[in-house]
Amino acid sequence: MQTESQNSTEPLLKTSGLTRRFGGLIAVNDVDFEIRPREILGLIGPNGAGKSTTFNLISGFYKPSSGSLKILGSDCTGRSSMVISRMGLVRTFQHGSLMPSMTVHENILLGTLHGIRGHAARRKRAEETAEMLGLTSYLAESAGTLPHGIQRLVSIGIAFAARPRLLCLDEPLTGLNQTEVTDTLSMLERIRDDFGCSVLLVEHNMKAVMQVCDRIVVLHHGEVLATGTPTEIRSDQNVINAYLGHRHGN
Amino acid sequence: MQTVIQLTLTSLQIGAVYILFSLGLTLIFGVMRIVNFAHGHLFAVSALLVAVMLSWLAGMGIPILPAYLLAVLAGVTASAALGFIIYVFGFKYFQRDMVGSFILSIGLVLLLDGIFLEIFGGGVRAVPEILPGSVEILGASVTQQRLFLCGMAVVITAALYWALTYTKLGKALRAVSIDHEAAMLQGVPYSRLALAGFMIAAVLAALAGALIAPISIVTPVIGADYLIKGFIAVIIGGLGSIPGAILGALFVAVIETVGSFYLDPTSATITIFVLVIVVLQVRPKGLMGHG
Amino acid sequence: MADTLRLPYCAAGIAAAIGASLLVSDPYVASVVNLVSIAALIAVSLRFVMLIGELNFATAAFVGIGAYTTGSVLTIWDWPFGIAMISGGIAAAAVSVVFGYVTLRTKGPYFLLIGFAFTEAVRIIYSKSMGLGGNSGMVGIFPPIAFDPWMPTFVMSIAALLIFVLYVIEKSDFGKIFTAIRDNEDVARTVGLNILFVKVACFAIASFAAGVAGSLHAVVNNVISPGDFSFLLAAFALAYVKVGGEDNIVGPIVGAILLVVLGSYALGLGGHEHIFYGAAIVLAVLLMPEGVTGLLHKGRDFVMARGKRNAD
Repeated sequence: MQTESQNSTEPLLKTSGLTRRFGGLIAVNDVDFEIRPREILGLIGPNGAGKSTTFNLISGFYKPSSGSLKILGSDCTGRSSMVISRMGLVRTFQHGSLMPSMTVHENILLGTLHGIRGHAARRKRAEETAEMLGLTSYLAESAGTLPHGIQRLVSIGIAFAARPRLLCLDEPLTGLNQTEVTDTLSMLERIRDDFGCSVLLVEHNMKAVMQVCDRIVVLHHGEVLATGTPTEIRSDQNVINAYLGHRHGN
Repeated sequence: MQTVIQLTLTSLQIGAVYILFSLGLTLIFGVMRIVNFAHGHLFAVSALLVAVMLSWLAGMGIPILPAYLLAVLAGVTASAALGFIIYVFGFKYFQRDMVGSFILSIGLVLLLDGIFLEIFGGGVRAVPEILPGSVEILGASVTQQRLFLCGMAVVITAALYWALTYTKLGKALRAVSIDHEAAMLQGVPYSRLALAGFMIAAVLAALAGALIAPISIVTPVIGADYLIKGFIAVIIGGLGSIPGAILGALFVAVIETVGSFYLDPTSATITIFVLVIVVLQVRPKGLMGHG
Repeated sequence: MADTLRLPYCAAGIAAAIGASLLVSDPYVASVVNLVSIAALIAVSLRFVMLIGELNFATAAFVGIGAYTTGSVLTIWDWPFGIAMISGGIAAAAVSVVFGYVTLRTKGPYFLLIGFAFTEAVRIIYSKSMGLGGNSGMVGIFPPIAFDPWMPTFVMSIAALLIFVLYVIEKSDFGKIFTAIRDNEDVARTVGLNILFVKVACFAIASFAAGVAGSLHAVVNNVISPGDFSFLLAAFALAYVKVGGEDNIVGPIVGAILLVVLGSYALGLGGHEHIFYGAAIVLAVLLMPEGVTGLLHKGRDFVMARGKRNAD
């Protein structure tokens, strides 16, 4: 199903045989996929397909039961989330991925603390990031009191301020209105095009995924069902049968 | 062999009190997510009242066993009343607020410490023997009173275990402590449950105090030692877990007894402390903690 | 913004207080000044660990370690006074690094109760160590004689200096990680921050301050015993923090001044220390959860809002 393409560039992230069991339940089974430089990869699948588990496995929040994880060619299997984030993979969380009692500026500044020395340089990076995300006018406000859509942007801001090689977003579009979705998608394209950063997008909003992703990995029952461009996925018979054929909840 | 039996019996005696004490702590934590340092004072109030009442009633010529039962009744009522007051005027407003409720309980500890000292004085109270004599068990001698304490603790623990497993209230209490949100969605009347859980815990502490009074030295600060051991037991077992509390209490009792016998009480206490840390390294939420 | 504006006022206030302490000659006032300074330092240390969201009941143990270290250095080894003072802080910080590294993997009630158990365990060790005076403690821990008239000034200056250092750390970029850990540890971890390291650092810095507070306690009282360092010490510190308010560093200082001064007045009238502090905590958490400084803020906002309305 998945053919190894003759990529001249090394993949940013590559999993082989990634498996995770919880007791008797196999949440993720033998998952192989890769994320290449400068691409937006969509990770989709029905509820319970193993998206969140896969996400937690590659970001180091779960240890795989078997299989391996490589980032930029070096083996990161079983490494802590801190080590993985220092390798350039930074993630957000589905729920409340920010510090509610801190200001937006302080929130974004956090992303700069590990990578940059000196307060002035950090400030500058945080302000640039805020400007890119259209958050400049909110900088002094307390993050916990802001509207939902803005909070979503702030959590992306924290992650992106670290200038990752790979930005992993866990359902960043949930609860956003149409304008906010459009804005966020164009921002993801800018992150890819202007900063050369890859994006892993776990998302339920199928229209958005089809629109913005370069490639898509479809998970089903913890296994990879299909991998390909949006066009390929749309016409993949397996995917149509398993997933797109019937409407899903959210 | 005789040493082994003696040590086992002593462990069971101490363990019996720790079990009653830590069951209350773990129940309150499970249902309300509060850490109640004033729990030791619910225990102390009962022990103190039993000591005072028993001497007083016995002085009036009432036979010792009826006098003890009356004193226990008074002690348990007083603890329950104190528990009700601190719940209704205090902890009710701090449910599921670990830090806030803890701070409130520390304030109550200081306040009640002072009040008990004012009322009961700092002196040590001797309580008349209620069950004189001792019996031989497999060659080891044990006083009737201690045996009675053990027996009562086993009965109370078993009754509580049965109630939590089979009664409607017990099932609801366990449901809330395992998954608060799911239980709420099922329409569990939470505030009534919290009060019930708190009062059950208060009565358990009161019974423990009433049982310990005749075999121990009763002072206004008697709760402090049991509080520390009780909390260590529930940390080891896992906060919120009922079997964990029983297991932890027995664990602490055995180490304390064996350690005191072969080394000295200080080393036993230090050993318990080191073991807690070891357990938490392996299981940061205790042996039977969930979530 | 408000903070940077307030800083000069704070510095001026501290300088004025230290200056005023030079004029203290009444021994009763001097002892209250000493008590307040030490209490404020311990309360600020307790609040410092609250920044990462943990209640540190081991504070009492670290105050004790500082006091006993200074006591030993002065009375057993007879080393210079300055070394004795700093060694209290260093010993407390060193123990706290080991203790913190082992226990800061746990959180919330587990960490709190472990700290409580640690305080009691350490206290038992003192009372069983004959070299440290056992149950009756250590006596004769004196500062140099020349120091005597300047004691309140010295104690207050050391406390103020350490409180200021803790303030600067809290406001630095590094200090922002503390709040981030309290708010959302996982997010802080995903941007490459070493959470355990930051927690242990926060804990060790606070413990250094607590240790020095213990050293000050030892040389002010000249006598220390295991009973001085029970968990009640941490409970009192918590009272200062709660009554004063925990939102900013001024809170615990206000709480310490208020409670120690009122407390020593009440005790003078024959009141009971435990009842006084207990009632203070209970009333504070029930009636003013933001503390006195929180009330003052609200009061100021209220007055300003009224002023605005009147102007309209």
